[in-house]
Amino acid sequence: MTQSRREFLQSSAAIALTVAIARPTLAADESPATPGNAYLRVGADNRVTAVLPTSEMGQGTHTGQAMILGEELGIDPSQIHIEMPLRPAEPYRLFFGQMRSVGSYGIRAWYEPLKKAAAQVRAVLLEAAGERWRVPVSELDATDGQVVHALSGRRVPFGELVEAAAALPLPEDPPMRPAPDTNDVDHTTRRVDVPAKVDGSAVFGTDVDVPGCLHGAVRMSPVYGAEVLSLDADSIEGFPGIEAIVPVPNGVVVVADSWWRAKRAADALSIEFTDTDDATLSSEALSAAMREGLEGDLPPVVRRGDVDAQFQSAVKTVDVIYEVPFLTHICMEPLVCTAHTRENHLELWMPTQGHDIVRMTVERVLGFTNEQMTLHTTYLGGGFGRKTHGEIAEQAILASRAVGAPVKVMWSREDDIQQGYYRPAMMARLRGALDANNRITAMHAQLSGPQMGRTFEHVTVRDNNDFFSVASLIDQPYAEHFAMDHRHLDVPMPLSPWRAVSSSQNGFFMEGFIDEMAAAAGMDPVAFRRAHFEAHPRHLAVLDRVAEMSQWDAPAPDGRHRGVAVVQSYGSAVAQAVTLRMERERPVVEHVAVAIDCGRAIYPDAVEAQMKGSVIEGLAAALRHEVPIADGRAQRSNFHDYSPLRIDEIPDIEVSIVDTGAPLGGVGEPGIPPLAPALTNAIFSATGKRVRVLPVSARRT
Amino acid sequence: MLEFTVNGESVRVEVDPGTPLLWVLRDTLKLNGTKYACGRSLCGACTVHVDGSPVRACVMPIESAANRAVTTIEGLGAEKPHPLQTAWIEANVPQCGYCQSGQIMSAAALLASNPNPSDADIDVAMAGNLCRCGTYDRIRKAIKTAGARIRDDRAAVRDDNRSTVT
Repeated sequence: MTQSRREFLQSSAAIALTVAIARPTLAADESPATPGNAYLRVGADNRVTAVLPTSEMGQGTHTGQAMILGEELGIDPSQIHIEMPLRPAEPYRLFFGQMRSVGSYGIRAWYEPLKKAAAQVRAVLLEAAGERWRVPVSELDATDGQVVHALSGRRVPFGELVEAAAALPLPEDPPMRPAPDTNDVDHTTRRVDVPAKVDGSAVFGTDVDVPGCLHGAVRMSPVYGAEVLSLDADSIEGFPGIEAIVPVPNGVVVVADSWWRAKRAADALSIEFTDTDDATLSSEALSAAMREGLEGDLPPVVRRGDVDAQFQSAVKTVDVIYEVPFLTHICMEPLVCTAHTRENHLELWMPTQGHDIVRMTVERVLGFTNEQMTLHTTYLGGGFGRKTHGEIAEQAILASRAVGAPVKVMWSREDDIQQGYYRPAMMARLRGALDANNRITAMHAQLSGPQMGRTFEHVTVRDNNDFFSVASLIDQPYAEHFAMDHRHLDVPMPLSPWRAVSSSQNGFFMEGFIDEMAAAAGMDPVAFRRAHFEAHPRHLAVLDRVAEMSQWDAPAPDGRHRGVAVVQSYGSAVAQAVTLRMERERPVVEHVAVAIDCGRAIYPDAVEAQMKGSVIEGLAAALRHEVPIADGRAQRSNFHDYSPLRIDEIPDIEVSIVDTGAPLGGVGEPGIPPLAPALTNAIFSATGKRVRVLPVSARRT
Repeated sequence: MLEFTVNGESVRVEVDPGTPLLWVLRDTLKLNGTKYACGRSLCGACTVHVDGSPVRACVMPIESAANRAVTTIEGLGAEKPHPLQTAWIEANVPQCGYCQSGQIMSAAALLASNPNPSDADIDVAMAGNLCRCGTYDRIRKAIKTAGARIRDDRAAVRDDNRSTVT
């Protein structure tokens, strides 16, 4: 009798070996690991599945996680299917209590739990095979998805063992394979998500195709925070295919039977927004307010040692002000969400990094519990922090509820650039004291600008220490006596984590300032930093590596100038050395040397890709990116005025991975912070002028 | 009613005049491999071939495609993977992947006319395709790998032909 394929799949799915993957713990995490429904499953059909909560947005985490599992289990990573859970839940949450794909945690947080789960599965598979063949487990190995007895040449696929293995108790401390001791970039491990990304079959948020789905385009207030005062529906009378005009916060969603039709009607709609005090806001006014915020005593964040006494006895001091602009993310895939809102259940299809934020949005908008929501995570066409918010879900939920059908709401590029969710603009005053030996004895860092954490409903800013503002300043490696202040500034536009979050600006402030300290000391920028890294072996190791890669100790070639910076963020230390030439007073970057210490590199090819991508992004941002504000509105709109680097604009980028035996660090973000200061320090070397205000192209001082 | 060919198949669509080809491909024909990212011919994510030439589908009115042959990423390697697709996989080119359909379509048009492009040729052909993740050096490498394979294949075909003749 022949079994139909469907029946076979059903019966084989019923027999499976399923092992819970523990909630990840980190050094900073005091809570106990909770076993739960993050799991690794080997089916009788040999299918290996892991349900894990990290969204794939290009950082390669799904492949890295499959490599950890495959290495330990004994199967090629390409044979492991990483799936996302259908709603956030405790086992998937990181130590801050949320399921989110942020903070460069995808590998470093999950390495231990994944390795342990895979080792447990391997242990019981080996034991089951040992019992079957009556041989000791010590003679068995697992490789290529089979248990192998080399002495007799016998092999058995995992799937044939799962029924017996599932009946065995799981060892609490399973034997683990030793980690390979190389960080060499191995280009042979192929990304699991790439085949679908070269033939058009990968499903991004924009590509969700639900039967009966309508399309939504938005029309939102160009002035942040304004609401719809009135609209004239007759103004789009006769536009074909229009189903509804749905009010949402700060605007409307126009629903039609195609996005193009919805968009044309949204653009043509006659609409008036409320007048707000922010309609006169400008970048100049914001800068002036931040500068004013630096006057007098600022609210303290941290005090270490006796800063005042060190300044009083200083031989030299440096006192400078730095500033960075609002930045936007320009994910190639604009914001998009498909929702089907029913009376008692909501289904969402979304390229999201912020699953618990979506859950909180659903609770707020619909009053639904987590269990009343099904959330399908698609591939993300870029995330970079932008896709952690719930605004697009709210729009899609409301639109779907209004028309009683699924609706896919997508923003245009202009909406994406102009509707806020920016990396905050920030100003910093940095003061430093040098002693007679050219040692930094004390530093005082003062921030003036928005504390992003205050704008998030799930975050509390305690003791003026905003988690989203302080990283890469508060942990600076240079001065024992250290003070830090922050005066918050309210701004009307929504703010968002942007790749590397506060380290993106604080790395620039600190490493630009350190270069100024080196100049005040009359010392070479590398030698000056080296002298301060005695107790910081990771900083020293990456600095030495880029000095070597850029041949720092030899004079720069004719017309070339170099700058260096070292920043630790997300658990990894990264140094970068920029080599440039000046053409008509504009910098042309020729070479960037990158050294990263992220502990053992789990997936070196992805580390290299992330470092190169970070340099390219960091360079575009430092050279020319800003969202200026005038009349309360963003003064950028599309790629003609806010463009990533093009293929003919990129420098040669060389990446080296350094392993000092440190714990695993993040990779997606820490390549960003050193680039801006390495660039501006090289510009100083070329011109003698300090760039303290970004972007470079704005030529503000 | 408008008629044109998509990936070798004749299609008829009834859409508003002026609708860009991109939205006919995506919303009418459900060919979602071609992406929207700017809507103004600024980024190349929507690149397809019309009669073999690369065009930006986001600004091409559907009337301009009438009676012409459109190839999308779904049709590029329909019979067997295009050498670019193979090279892309081998070099782990994509990160987020959203721009990559457009990158590959622009590269395919380049290699069709010049299977041995220099770095400068690649810059000219690919400068209109933005990759915000910064995969450019791998794109360059994969284009060269694919170009070399196309040249090898052609040389092999020439050798075969010669041996057939003699």
